[in-house]
Amino acid sequence: MARLARTNKRRIFHADGAWAYGFIAVALLVYAMFTAYPVVSAFFISFQEYKPLGSVYVGLDNYKNTFGESLFWKSIRNTIVYTALTVPISLLISFAIAILILPFKKRLQTAFKAIYYLPAVASGVAMSVVWLWIYDPLPSGLMNRLLDVFGIPNQNWLGSSATSMFSLVLMAWLSSHGTSIIIYLAALLGIDNSYYEAADLDGASFFQKLWHIVLPFLKPTTLFLLVTGVIGSFQVFQNAYLMTGGGPDNATTMVGLLIFNNAFKYFEYGEAAAQSLVLALIIAIVSYFQFRFLGKDVEY
Amino acid sequence: MAKKRLTLASVLAFTLSVSALTGCSSGGGDNEKNASPSPSGSASAPASSGASGESGAKDTITALLPPVSATYQDNFEQMAKDFNALYPNLTLKIEPASWEDMTQKLDTQVNAGSPPDIAFIGSDGISKYVQQGMLMDISDTATPEMIADYEPAPLEYMKNGKGLYGFPAYMEIHAIGGNKQFLEEAGIDWKNVQKNGWTYDEFREAIKKGVVKEGDKTKRYGFVFATAGVASKDYLNILVKNAGMPSAFTKDLKYAYTSKNYLEVLKDVRQLIDDGSMPKELSSIDAGKRWNMFLTGQTMITGKGLATFENSANKNNSKIDANDGSAVEGSIKADYIVLPVPSFLGQPAVSTPAVDGYVTFRGKKEPTAEHKANVVKAAYFLASGKIAAQTNNELFVAHITKTGKEAAASMTVNRNPDNQAAVEVLLSHAAPARPDIPTELGAKAIKLEDEVIIPKLQALLANEIKPEDMYEAVKSAAIKEFGQDGVVTD
Repeated sequence: MARLARTNKRRIFHADGAWAYGFIAVALLVYAMFTAYPVVSAFFISFQEYKPLGSVYVGLDNYKNTFGESLFWKSIRNTIVYTALTVPISLLISFAIAILILPFKKRLQTAFKAIYYLPAVASGVAMSVVWLWIYDPLPSGLMNRLLDVFGIPNQNWLGSSATSMFSLVLMAWLSSHGTSIIIYLAALLGIDNSYYEAADLDGASFFQKLWHIVLPFLKPTTLFLLVTGVIGSFQVFQNAYLMTGGGPDNATTMVGLLIFNNAFKYFEYGEAAAQSLVLALIIAIVSYFQFRFLGKDVEY
Repeated sequence: MAKKRLTLASVLAFTLSVSALTGCSSGGGDNEKNASPSPSGSASAPASSGASGESGAKDTITALLPPVSATYQDNFEQMAKDFNALYPNLTLKIEPASWEDMTQKLDTQVNAGSPPDIAFIGSDGISKYVQQGMLMDISDTATPEMIADYEPAPLEYMKNGKGLYGFPAYMEIHAIGGNKQFLEEAGIDWKNVQKNGWTYDEFREAIKKGVVKEGDKTKRYGFVFATAGVASKDYLNILVKNAGMPSAFTKDLKYAYTSKNYLEVLKDVRQLIDDGSMPKELSSIDAGKRWNMFLTGQTMITGKGLATFENSANKNNSKIDANDGSAVEGSIKADYIVLPVPSFLGQPAVSTPAVDGYVTFRGKKEPTAEHKANVVKAAYFLASGKIAAQTNNELFVAHITKTGKEAAASMTVNRNPDNQAAVEVLLSHAAPARPDIPTELGAKAIKLEDEVIIPKLQALLANEIKPEDMYEAVKSAAIKEFGQDGVVTD
């Protein structure tokens, strides 16, 4: 009996399936070290006042401070505004560009995909430098010159509360659509031509085909891009950090930037960890509702 | 074959795991390594440079150093060689860092509990690391000879409470700087201003005269200060020092920025923009932009001004003369004139010093006396003598050590003597260090500055709030933080 068990065990490990366990183990280990461990660690740190020479347990103080801090709520509001303005419009732009690219031949499609994906390859810092130049507040700035053509006085794009958030949103609208375009295009190419042919026979217009064929077929893709877009947008940090530093008057302070400042500027890792977990909870709730209301009839 | 592949896969997976785990290990840093007791021996260093706790045992001292001056990092190899020649048992291991990376690199190492032994930072960062318990107090290890080498004022900036946490490299004054030709065209007696200073009203009138308009558009402003982002705090800080608030805390440790004088300075900040002497887009002008505006003749006076700007302007002038294409585009020849910040409300002028230096860190384990002494030797080696002389000359800053002055005596510097004298005047009334401010109070003041003062100042500069609104916001935040009795009421 024992011999039979040993033989079976040997078979499992000598079979090709063992390879899978080997590779999964590596991925699992990397995941455990670089994702699971930091999350669990953040959970414990959120109840501590972190110090390199020995942290102190402070109970729920970090959570109390977070919820009692007006800047935290302002940053949440800013993040929601930023997300609401950037994600849907960005999806719309990506979808429109994908539709425009679709009729081209494969080689031209690839060229357009590469062109639109290019900003994703460029460093975020380099992109920010370009946008800082575009938003130069003096009359010599590129955007201000453009306004001057229409007789509009020059704007203090990043230095005024009235325009700073819009400036970041505009930056998001006009860059980084590459991934969404590629995913949309792949989904569009997956729609069987017979649907369009049938619609043509029925004399359907472009918009009718769009409404009755394309949009229903792209619903899973749109849901995926929406959920990942909202998650990414809630975690936005780089643009605010590099372009405005969260100013003026915290008009562009996003939660991600607040967490960064607490952790790396003030060394308040406990409060930063608490805020990170609150942010994770908010993202989870938003994602749940997205799936619940938008993913009802989505099949995968 | 399958067996071989399985073995190979297992070995690869094991190697990856072990290497990753090794990377995560917190042990093994130089500090920890050096924390173990080592046998003592005779020191070969000169007596004047020795520190208490000497030992002839081999030791390595690590230093994280940014490009303090233009050629500073090019000399690292030579510095390490010279140090090793002076102390044959010691190795100075220098890790270069860019200014951009410096804080992040250091903070990461500090929070991991394994910082370098020495890092070059601003003295204003000392309280942050003291609060974390990661700085090494060298007051019991630095020899009287070392201490006597320094001017007392900058050395005080390296202290917190009773502890001494390194040696200063230089004491720089944050002033403002003007274009000589434009100052003279505006009828400003800049030599007199350099010697005797000026009041806010005199300054206001002077910069009005510096404005040049072409129709509705301003071709040249009287004054442009970099205020984008966190730079805005520099602007306000150097102004309020000249309005009876040389520090954020009074001598009896009350928060000073609730004083009525603070409100008056805020009103003046707004007034200069409303006059048209400063651009209305001031809140978005960063350090690079305003220096470009200075070199291209778009402003008569700029801030903040550092002594090294004279060097930078001179270099650009030479490029213009040589028709060198690398001169700043559209720039004109400009002689940089050091000017003091005006004084407000009849208060005495107090200039803003910036003291940077070599700060000494400790690891998780208590360093041994031998290692501590070796770190002190290395910090002193870097912050005095030839290295200090070369670096400070390149930066056009005054020498603050006797050994540095001696070493600099044979070096020539192409510096405007009027500017040199002006800086001496400014140094004579520099704000004194405040090591008596407890770290907790200092940390609260920094957070209040970051979360209330800077955002509100940005809004004030952008004309979105009134000076009174900002003053009330700062006052209520200060009372909340320090209590009604913890703030100045006048």
